[in-house]
Amino acid sequence: MDWASKIPTLLACAWLLPLASFVIILVGGRKLGRAGRGAAWIACGAIVGSFCLSTIALAGWLWINPLAPPADHAHHGPAHASVSSAPEHSRERPAESSLHKSPGSPTAQPLCGIWYTLGEFGSSRVAISYYIDGLTVAMFVMVSLIASCIHVYSIGYMHEELDEVTDEAVRLADGRRLRRPGRFHRFFQHLSLFSFSMLGLIVAGNLAMVFCFWELVGICSYLLIGFYIERSAASNAANKAFIVNRVGDFGMIVGLMVFWAGLGTLSFGDIRNGAGEVVEQGVFSLVRPEKADHDLVIPEGLVRWSARGEISQFARAQAAAGVPAAALPAERIEQWRSSGWGYGLLVLGGLGLFCGCIGKSAQFPLHVWLPDAMEGPTPVSALVHSATMVAAGVYLTARCFPIFVPEVLLTIAVVGCITLLLAATIALTATDIKRVLAYSTVSQLGYMMLALGSGGWVAGVLHLFTHAFFKSLLFLCSGSVIHACRTNELTQMGGLARKMPWTAVTMLVGCLAIIGAGIPLVGGLSGYYSKDAILAQQYVFAAANPHLGWMFYAAAIGAAMTAFYMFRLWFLAFVGKPRDAHVFDHVHESPPVMTGPLVLLAVLAVAVAWHVPLTHWGLEPLLSQARPLGIDQPEFRGLMLASTTIPGEHLSHDASVHTSAALLAFAMGAAGVLLAAVMYAARKLDPADVAGQFPRAYRFLLNKWWFDELYHFLWVRPTMALSRWTAQLDQRVIDYVWDSAARGVTMIARLDDWVDRRMVDRALDRIADAVYRLAIRARGLQSGYVRHYVLAIAVGLVALVVVMSLYWSNASAGW
Amino acid sequence: MFEYLRDPTVLLSTIIFFPAAAALLLCVIPGRHAALIKLTALAATVAVCAASLIPACAAGGNPVSFSLHDGGFQQVVKLAWIPSFNIEYYLGLDGISYPLVLLTTFLSVLALAASWKIEKAVKAYCVLFLLLETGMLGVFMALDFFLFYVFWEVMLLPMYFLIGIWGGPRREYAGIKFFLFTLVGGVLMLIAMLMLYFAGDLTRLSPEQLIASHIAPETAEAVASVHTTGPLHTFSLPALSEMGRLPNSPFAQRQWLGQSLEWWAFLLLFIGFAIKLPAVPVHTWLPDAHVEAPTPISMILAGVLLKMGGYGIVRICYPICPGAAYDLAWFVCGLGVLSMVYGAFAAMAQTDFKRLVAYSSVSHMGYVLLGLGAWSAVAGTQYSTAGWQMGVTGAMFQMIAHGISSAGMFFLVGVVYDRVHHRDLNQFGGLFQKMPAYSGLSMIIFFAALGLPGLCGFIGEFFVVIASWQYSAVMAVVAAGVVILTAGYILWTIQRVYLGPEYKGPHGDALGPLSLREWAIILPLVVLAVVLGVYPRAAIDVMSPSVKRHVEQLTDWTKTRDQTASLSVSPSSSATTPDESGEKGVSRDDRRQWPPVVAVEPNSPLKTAVLHSLQKENDAPAEIGGRRP
Repeated sequence: MDWASKIPTLLACAWLLPLASFVIILVGGRKLGRAGRGAAWIACGAIVGSFCLSTIALAGWLWINPLAPPADHAHHGPAHASVSSAPEHSRERPAESSLHKSPGSPTAQPLCGIWYTLGEFGSSRVAISYYIDGLTVAMFVMVSLIASCIHVYSIGYMHEELDEVTDEAVRLADGRRLRRPGRFHRFFQHLSLFSFSMLGLIVAGNLAMVFCFWELVGICSYLLIGFYIERSAASNAANKAFIVNRVGDFGMIVGLMVFWAGLGTLSFGDIRNGAGEVVEQGVFSLVRPEKADHDLVIPEGLVRWSARGEISQFARAQAAAGVPAAALPAERIEQWRSSGWGYGLLVLGGLGLFCGCIGKSAQFPLHVWLPDAMEGPTPVSALVHSATMVAAGVYLTARCFPIFVPEVLLTIAVVGCITLLLAATIALTATDIKRVLAYSTVSQLGYMMLALGSGGWVAGVLHLFTHAFFKSLLFLCSGSVIHACRTNELTQMGGLARKMPWTAVTMLVGCLAIIGAGIPLVGGLSGYYSKDAILAQQYVFAAANPHLGWMFYAAAIGAAMTAFYMFRLWFLAFVGKPRDAHVFDHVHESPPVMTGPLVLLAVLAVAVAWHVPLTHWGLEPLLSQARPLGIDQPEFRGLMLASTTIPGEHLSHDASVHTSAALLAFAMGAAGVLLAAVMYAARKLDPADVAGQFPRAYRFLLNKWWFDELYHFLWVRPTMALSRWTAQLDQRVIDYVWDSAARGVTMIARLDDWVDRRMVDRALDRIADAVYRLAIRARGLQSGYVRHYVLAIAVGLVALVVVMSLYWSNASAGW
Repeated sequence: MFEYLRDPTVLLSTIIFFPAAAALLLCVIPGRHAALIKLTALAATVAVCAASLIPACAAGGNPVSFSLHDGGFQQVVKLAWIPSFNIEYYLGLDGISYPLVLLTTFLSVLALAASWKIEKAVKAYCVLFLLLETGMLGVFMALDFFLFYVFWEVMLLPMYFLIGIWGGPRREYAGIKFFLFTLVGGVLMLIAMLMLYFAGDLTRLSPEQLIASHIAPETAEAVASVHTTGPLHTFSLPALSEMGRLPNSPFAQRQWLGQSLEWWAFLLLFIGFAIKLPAVPVHTWLPDAHVEAPTPISMILAGVLLKMGGYGIVRICYPICPGAAYDLAWFVCGLGVLSMVYGAFAAMAQTDFKRLVAYSSVSHMGYVLLGLGAWSAVAGTQYSTAGWQMGVTGAMFQMIAHGISSAGMFFLVGVVYDRVHHRDLNQFGGLFQKMPAYSGLSMIIFFAALGLPGLCGFIGEFFVVIASWQYSAVMAVVAAGVVILTAGYILWTIQRVYLGPEYKGPHGDALGPLSLREWAIILPLVVLAVVLGVYPRAAIDVMSPSVKRHVEQLTDWTKTRDQTASLSVSPSSSATTPDESGEKGVSRDDRRQWPPVVAVEPNSPLKTAVLHSLQKENDAPAEIGGRRP
């Protein structure tokens, strides 16, 4: 079977099924089944179908690209690598070095192609295309699986929306509670649209298409956060989420512009025609050409772009010499390249793309939208705002990893590190169960970014996967709790484990998974593997860059804080005495349609990082296979920050590194759990006392570092002021000028009128008067007396004779 | 009867004048039959819409079928009109005008359907509306500058009355403001037109160029071979554009206040079109006109009339005055970016729903200017046309997309205005519960305006912004920043109008579901917004041959210009500069051999001298047409 041609079709079907579901629900609406109940089945069917197709695609992928057994890590590529200014450098390398470049992973050729072209401009085009590698397929399976679980769960969670709903959170002007028809079908409609957008984002074969779906998931997120459209908190949060994301997208557009202008393509991979020839080179092969051994080379297009002025001179000189526009001599390009021209653009483009990821993945400084996004229904928080959409930023960072230079990677690492600490500290004091989880999500995304930025591609992506499972589990558990308690406040819970055993146990599993519980050096839950990998990478990174050693400690402290706040949450909710008897009385375990997905996700949260028993097949080898070529170099240095080295990931597989990291992670996690147990389970230490000890710090954290207030002051208010100012300018100044111009013309007209009446007209009147008077006088001539007339005739005759005689004399003189 | 429509003359004239003929017919229907008048007018617009679709639908062999492979003018109609001044009845379609013609006929149908609520002087309204349609279609099809000007003015007067009689409380102010602004633009255009007319000379074109501007081959031979005593003036836009792109263009020569004639002509034309577009700071007629105009007239105003500005720039300014356009590209783009930012900020502060949409139009039309002006096919990019082509395509697409989304937005505002009789954004809220279907459709249209992928607004914005980077990184970054502001004001509007627990304003009981007629108007717009969003090629394929031709012609011109400029820099090369001591003195053979082929050995003294002088003076003043320094 020809899998290489089947896989794109399979994934296309998996991608479009939710779209079909969206369209059906959009058209059918409430008429689907009783009160729109059928919508749920259509949406679930579509996403489960997507999952099945994705799984088949995964099987096909593994069939054509079997995972290699883990190699021993003895040989590791060349001794050093930096951004090669001259590609000859790398070409001279010994041939065998490339064989061992990516240990344990044979090259798996990604599948690229175009489904449909939107527009062609010269040789460049914008298209709906695909780029499929191990990462794509794995993401497809993960997203569709989690989405399936959440779709099913939502049937239970959203059942109230089937009937008329009384919204407790909204009071009308007359003090009544809002009553409105349920919107069950609309919820599933949005979920389907989201699934479609998310899968499209993953399968996208070029950056423009990524951007399209990037925006689409953004708008789905907007719609789902604002699902309770009557609540102003929800619509505010939705607006905030979309606008903050747009700030990130702004950077992303800049990145796209850099690459589009410099490279003339936004496609990831090489597009081949039917005969297998490359018809359009992708970004990856332009930045890391195969003949340079997949080392990063400044692409010619960017070199040309920064040498515009020189090229312009050259072209003009050529034109002046009468030579038709000829190609630029290659040595000039090489000369410019070797002096680092175009490198700045690579940095700018990379930072721009990462800016988009900052917005989507809620990294510092754009992390503020995610906690507010918890206004949406809890299944949405689980699917969109923890497992999939917010991980899209991490996904894109991983996808674009080959085109990031060390300066960009360092930025990614630093941003990730700041984010993970910042969010973890806020999570320590939050009391809203979903907000704790939201900050935890931000923090974990920071871990992923940190891992990617410090060179740990597989570590970061692995954490993306494991986090997706345990965080969606945690959110669904919290949803189950909220569903039962009808409150988000941890301070009103307590002792729920007795009444909700399934939820309590599965949530405990989730907590253990997120803190990376396991037996050091033996094995553990899924988080154990990914977190260890991240810490190990940090260890290597710190060793390579002693001046950045603080990032390692930050990651370790973050691990302790994670353990603390997760178990604080669990202890507050599930053990001890109930804090609010009224709430406790109404608590009941959720129906099986909700606990079923919890159990499934709990199993996956435990085991997703495990190898298939007795084989070397598993998630990590799959990701190792998907790791882009050429990025796993022992040292990766940039041209601008030469002192910073991005170490290769294989270095972290070293046994001693691994041991230290695993032990440290265990110690940190244990410390966090112990402290939480002391404070919230055993109650040996009163949390209020601790807060009282550090009132300023406590208020600082409780108010989320005052970020909302700061941004309101820094951005929102000036923007509003500026817009009011513009509107005023428009009316008071510009319009005034034009109106005055019109008034000026009117005044000139009046003046003209005055001149006309007073001067022109009056002058004419005067003349007329004079003529009149003259005529009156002349009237006297016509007296009626014959003697007067005879006199006049006589005088006239005489005069005539005189004149004629004059004429005659002159005339005769002429003859 | 339909056989006659196979003749382009009949077809294009029918499309243009059928509304006017229908208006004449309406004049004889007694005014008391209001319904009959409306129906007749609607039937007329539908018929025109159908007729305008004929070129798109006709089979390949049909003489009126619109070819997607030809970038030039098709269905050309050329008849003498006022022969003594060489004024012609000269029409044609290409990929730039045809989409706009379709947009016009389509929106006219919808706008007339939206006029059903008009009660006052129905007959006069319909007559003026149909005359307006004739004017608009004529502007988009005319290829004779004089004819273009006539249609431009024909369109102006009905619009003035439509705003001034059927408008809101301040209708007279708004109407006269609209009228004066557009009239000023028209007058500037008239001046520029006459400048170009008297400077142009057909005899300077080669037979090939004359044939390219649709002058019959035998006439072309005659014109080119006969030494006429005086210049042969013309109003033909294609011929003027051929002249404008001549290396020794007649428009580039004469100087006034240190600038060439074409510089002044460009500026005058550009101001005229910028008023229509509208660009900041000559945009203030727009919010007033929109606020006062009745809903259907707002739809036409935003959907079609604004596009005339962009169309004029791409059809007239750039091809005829490339030298000035090249020099002033920064101004065009800068004004575009300014309009984008300014319009977005101003929109954010509005409390009147219609004013907000009007300012969003200012912001969105800024993209058109930026895309048209981003002249990136220069020496530094080695004359790569890809970027600019993308920009112009984006700008053209943006015009269509904005035509759909803004007409839709104005209609949607009109729908609630009809029900509650106010437009105060702070007195809405909760419409989602009262009118769910209406709100859902509104969200789609508003998201289209926001530039959401999958809807029509995205493609134009994205193409323009991405392409403008190649022209100016700073402007591109600012333009990209506007996406944040756009999201801000659109989402805030949606929140204030559609979301929230309950409706806050008066007449809440009147907020009933959409009527069938309203559905019939908004649904096509929504469908088009989606179709153009997911299948933009429907429009791009029509546009791209003509856009490509436009860009390539100007790029060739840029190349020649740079060559000439380089030549004129070098003192030793002055001998090779074309002799252009007088417009009439050039012998025809010299002209045909442009660009002059200079045989130069690889290391000739000439080349050395050029290179040397370039090193010293790498940014030599760009001289057009090989003027001697």
